[in-house]
Amino acid sequence: MSNTHEDAFVVEGKLALPYQYFAGTVGSRFLTALRDECKILGQRCEKCGKVFIPPRATCERCFSDLSGAWVELGTSGMVANFTVIHYEEPHHPRKAPFVIALIKLDGADTPLAHVVAGVDPSSVAVGMLVKAVFAENRIGSIMDINHFEPA
Amino acid sequence: MNDVKQELIVLRQILSIPQKFSTGPVMGRFLKELRDNRRIMANRCPRCRRFHLPPREVCAICRAPSGEFVEVGPEGVIQSYDIVYYASPDPLTGEARQAPYTTVNVLLDGVQGKDTLWHLLNETDPTRIRRGLRVRAIFNEQRTGSIHDIKYFDIIEGGTKGAAQ
Repeated sequence: MSNTHEDAFVVEGKLALPYQYFAGTVGSRFLTALRDECKILGQRCEKCGKVFIPPRATCERCFSDLSGAWVELGTSGMVANFTVIHYEEPHHPRKAPFVIALIKLDGADTPLAHVVAGVDPSSVAVGMLVKAVFAENRIGSIMDINHFEPA
Repeated sequence: MNDVKQELIVLRQILSIPQKFSTGPVMGRFLKELRDNRRIMANRCPRCRRFHLPPREVCAICRAPSGEFVEVGPEGVIQSYDIVYYASPDPLTGEARQAPYTTVNVLLDGVQGKDTLWHLLNETDPTRIRRGLRVRAIFNEQRTGSIHDIKYFDIIEGGTKGAAQ
């Protein structure tokens, strides 16, 4: 073998992937309500008596059509669970360390994953009450809620 | 479904993902030879004597660890080509490629076997390209240890059809 390990080296590169995400009719209604009214919408299944978020066209339990079953949820809720992210990555919404929590909004039966900020990550706890802080410039994205902060 | 006219949301983004590619010793040697010596290196299987281009760690047929490196090219003959008119996005930048462009598989002089090197050809006129045409690798002045250290292949004017034996 004429090759040696001195021949090995590392090529630093970058992949760029253009993509588009279509929110669909149900997702679009949710996002336009965030953008235009700063309202967080959920959907109630009358048959199951459950209120779901994030939006979906169909009840995951009984398959009822939920595409028109909108209810307005509160903008505050409770941390149902959370994780602290310690590593840096360009697509993270924040510099590490930051907190991603599952937030059970008032009136909802399922949690929404979002950033909790304005608090030291070590003080975040399950059961903590939080409220949504909306972004100044809203574009019809889930990040129109900038973050949740302690209520 | 409601009958009211509804705004539909489409989010467009470009994901930019930093990545690292570890060449390993064999691909590392291939890329360093391009960068430092403007040489195209194949390697060959010590058992079946098959040429690998680009070089491989292990022979795909015998599974024997690869042996000696052999310089091939920089000239060769076109084995096949594609003139591409679709401006597909370059995954490294997300930008649309300049179209048309031509890709070729070149059987380089010195290669024994069928392994061809895939690269760009500096010609997009279909009347000027044909199988068997002699071409030459043109290297960039600035080389970084990448397959793009070869800028493209140029058609050798007056080059005749001939097998690369």
